[in-house]
Amino acid sequence: MRSSAWTLNRKASLFVKPEMEPLDHHKGENPRILFFIWLTLALTAILISGLAWRQLIDRDAYEVIEKRQTERRILKPGPRGDVYDRRGRLLVGNRPHYSAVVYLDDLRPEFRSRYSKLLKTARAVINERFNEMPPEERPDSLPHPDYNKLQWQARKEVIQQYLDQINAITGREDRLKESQLIRHFNENLLLPLPLVRDLTPNQYARLVEQIPPPPGSPIQIHTDTARYYPYRELAAHLLGYVQNKNLAPEEFPNDGIKTFAFQKKVGRSGLEASFNDELTGTTGRELWRVDPLGFQDTRLELDAPQQGQSLNISIDIDLQRAAETALGERTGAAVALDIHTGEVLALASHPTYNQNHLSPFIPQATFDQINETGAWLNRALQLSYPPGSTFKLLTAIAGMRHGSIDPETTHHCSGVYRVGNRVFRCHARNGHGNVQLADAIEGSCNVFFYAEGLSMGIDVLSAEAQRFGLDQKTGIELPYETKRNIVPSKEWKREATGSGWVPGDTANTAIGQGFLLATPLQMACFTASLARNETRTRPTILARSPHESESVDHGGEALDLTPRQRALLWQGMERVTGRDGTGRLVGIDDFRTAGKTGTADFRAHGKEVNLAWFIGFAPVENPQIAVAVMVEGTEESQAYHGGSTAGPIAKDLFLEFIKQYPERAGKLAKP
Amino acid sequence: MAKLRLEKFKPLVALAAFLLFWWILPASVKSFTRLNLAEFHAPAWLVTTKIDQLSDFWAARNHSKIELLEAGRDLARTNARYQVIAQRYQTLEEEIERLENLLALPPHQAFHHEVARVIRRDLNAWWQHLLIRKGRDYQIPVGAAVIFSGGVVGRVVEVYAYTSRVELVSSPRFRMAASFEGDSRPVVYQGRIQSGFAPPRGEVSDVPQDLLTTSRSPLSLVSTQLGGTFPAGLKIGTVPWLAPGSTGIFQTGAVELDERLHELKEVTVLIPLLAPEASSHVH
Repeated sequence: MRSSAWTLNRKASLFVKPEMEPLDHHKGENPRILFFIWLTLALTAILISGLAWRQLIDRDAYEVIEKRQTERRILKPGPRGDVYDRRGRLLVGNRPHYSAVVYLDDLRPEFRSRYSKLLKTARAVINERFNEMPPEERPDSLPHPDYNKLQWQARKEVIQQYLDQINAITGREDRLKESQLIRHFNENLLLPLPLVRDLTPNQYARLVEQIPPPPGSPIQIHTDTARYYPYRELAAHLLGYVQNKNLAPEEFPNDGIKTFAFQKKVGRSGLEASFNDELTGTTGRELWRVDPLGFQDTRLELDAPQQGQSLNISIDIDLQRAAETALGERTGAAVALDIHTGEVLALASHPTYNQNHLSPFIPQATFDQINETGAWLNRALQLSYPPGSTFKLLTAIAGMRHGSIDPETTHHCSGVYRVGNRVFRCHARNGHGNVQLADAIEGSCNVFFYAEGLSMGIDVLSAEAQRFGLDQKTGIELPYETKRNIVPSKEWKREATGSGWVPGDTANTAIGQGFLLATPLQMACFTASLARNETRTRPTILARSPHESESVDHGGEALDLTPRQRALLWQGMERVTGRDGTGRLVGIDDFRTAGKTGTADFRAHGKEVNLAWFIGFAPVENPQIAVAVMVEGTEESQAYHGGSTAGPIAKDLFLEFIKQYPERAGKLAKP
Repeated sequence: MAKLRLEKFKPLVALAAFLLFWWILPASVKSFTRLNLAEFHAPAWLVTTKIDQLSDFWAARNHSKIELLEAGRDLARTNARYQVIAQRYQTLEEEIERLENLLALPPHQAFHHEVARVIRRDLNAWWQHLLIRKGRDYQIPVGAAVIFSGGVVGRVVEVYAYTSRVELVSSPRFRMAASFEGDSRPVVYQGRIQSGFAPPRGEVSDVPQDLLTTSRSPLSLVSTQLGGTFPAGLKIGTVPWLAPGSTGIFQTGAVELDERLHELKEVTVLIPLLAPEASSHVH
């Protein structure tokens, strides 16, 4: 009834006002419609206000949230700087480090497809088992497959399939570890997953040619850098090595955007550690927009990484090679210094290791092997040893400054010297007879220095050694220099052992034995100071510019010997490398060398072994190079002596110096 | 009226149905169809090239005797020059072989050469691939290197009964290991999308920092045998500039390819005599 009335009404109204819209005749009349109009308007206003609030007032907060959700940053550390020797030869560089990687994003469809197949198979197996079970043992409902496990299995199978493809091309037999995959998924989803690291150039070239470029295959050939040491074992301890390390939290920008980072290389020893800040490159950044699942979509920003600074160091690789070749398979160290500037020309320590085996990462087997041979230690500065008879030079200086030694001072050496109840021996069983200072240095007479040491006393001797800085670190820019440099004194012994000083201790100290401990680097500095007529040498591993070399302040003071005393000392040292000296094997025709040999007793590796020392400088008329060589016995049966074991190594260093620097070696040098 | 409207959409509906049908077809069926289509077309393309050759032949016959005599004389001179070079080459090869035997070096990857005529080059993919007139009938394998007098042409990607498809060096889907002349370090060469008929170009990446080049004396990019597909020393192109790459240590640059790639008539396929070994067996 109502419907027909409405129809009539409508027809009538249409007839009367054909131009009116259907709702027009309710306008302003029907309160229900008015209510809904106002309600709609109010709700729309609320909606618009809310939208405006979020868009205009809360905009910044929402922008941050949006960025957090949709942007990801990748940090890529820059390559490290190069290291060159004093003549510009590359000692440490970067080589390409090739890996085959996959971006998991590219594999998502395959993951899904493999997962579906695995799920189907798993369900079929469950059904089959369920049906095979006796009805009374059947559970109420079908058990569910382990979805999570199947998902990881699917991912692993897909990736392994690509790894197999690489294996077929390269001839490798790599397998993917599930733990590696899970870790990568959880921590570095945006970064490529490395399938094979450190490909050889050959394998790299084969993969480049046989695997289609993207989008043909999800496998990508990734090129990174690894540290490269062209001279392999040479100067390994000095140059050091690097280790891969995650970026520190403070290196991540604190703006809320999730950031992934490739590992950076950090210096762990040698120069790589000392100059880590200079060598480290600038980290590059990439900003990516990602999809809701976190896979990369569009690159928004790229800031390429920059290589670190290069270093020019003072080493001459030819001298370094000469030192290491001469050391051979023996355990020990050799140091050569530029007498005027304190620049380290060579710094060798054996046993050593091939640094390329530690790059791009240190395999556990290599680490264990180096550990076993004790090759991690830089024997030139990390271990201290009794300096043996090389210390007699310092005893001589102390004696001359104290006034107990003059050119006429003579002692009779019968081969033994009695101090209280103890008998101290000279290495010459039948004695040297009557000896003066130059004779005592030439023949390394213990008796002369026992007598002089006791005459001046430990206080004078100890003070003189301290004046040369033998109780301190040299301050070279290399890490882990030992603090265990001992110049014994009465106070020291009381503190260290709780017992008092006895004359026998002084006698031992005077010939470089007893409690005395010094590093080969310290003894090289001592020799350079002696040659320069000063007390200190500040060694440096950085190459000095010609301007810097003109005026180097080594600290310390003048030697404080009269020209006559100095001449006497040098005469003795020159006679050491002469025809009848203990270091006669060091002698070079037409080239004047001065030095001192030393053979010390030492307890190492649980055995009593010999230490062979030689310190010296050349050419005598215009000293340019100072060397210190120490060879450490490893077996009790090894009879090492300063003159016959360490001396020839020093000679090789002098010969190489003549060859490489004929003008500095003097006009008599034969290149 | 409505019927008329439906009539208009019939072709579109048919196309949509066909596309849908094609889309749901298994990949193996699609591949089979594509292959058969290529095989079906091949005789037509072969005939076209034969006709081209015939027309060239008749055109040559129109030359005067004097022109032919001159051409013959020039050819004889060129032949004589090449014979001298070939003799020298032979002597050098024997010397290399002798030295390799002395040093007990493993044999080089040897190739059998097969000269093939270019029979088709699609205008839409001019710089991407071409079709050559030899296929399974000449034992052409997939992956074989293809070269011409100017250096690298590309790689065989599909082999049919009488034809083969070659991915050109200028194609973005072509990638190979390369090295710079006089430097053994491997770099990556990849083709790129070409712009019209401009000279073809490619890209080189992973270039060591110490390599410098200028447009006046550009570096020459050549093939390396490390990849196992190409023999060493074949020219790919020249690199007039290099710029720092995104790694901070390697450079990238543009490679100018040989312009003669534009008008290839004949190419040579290098068929390896030995199966390529895995790199671990190569010293």
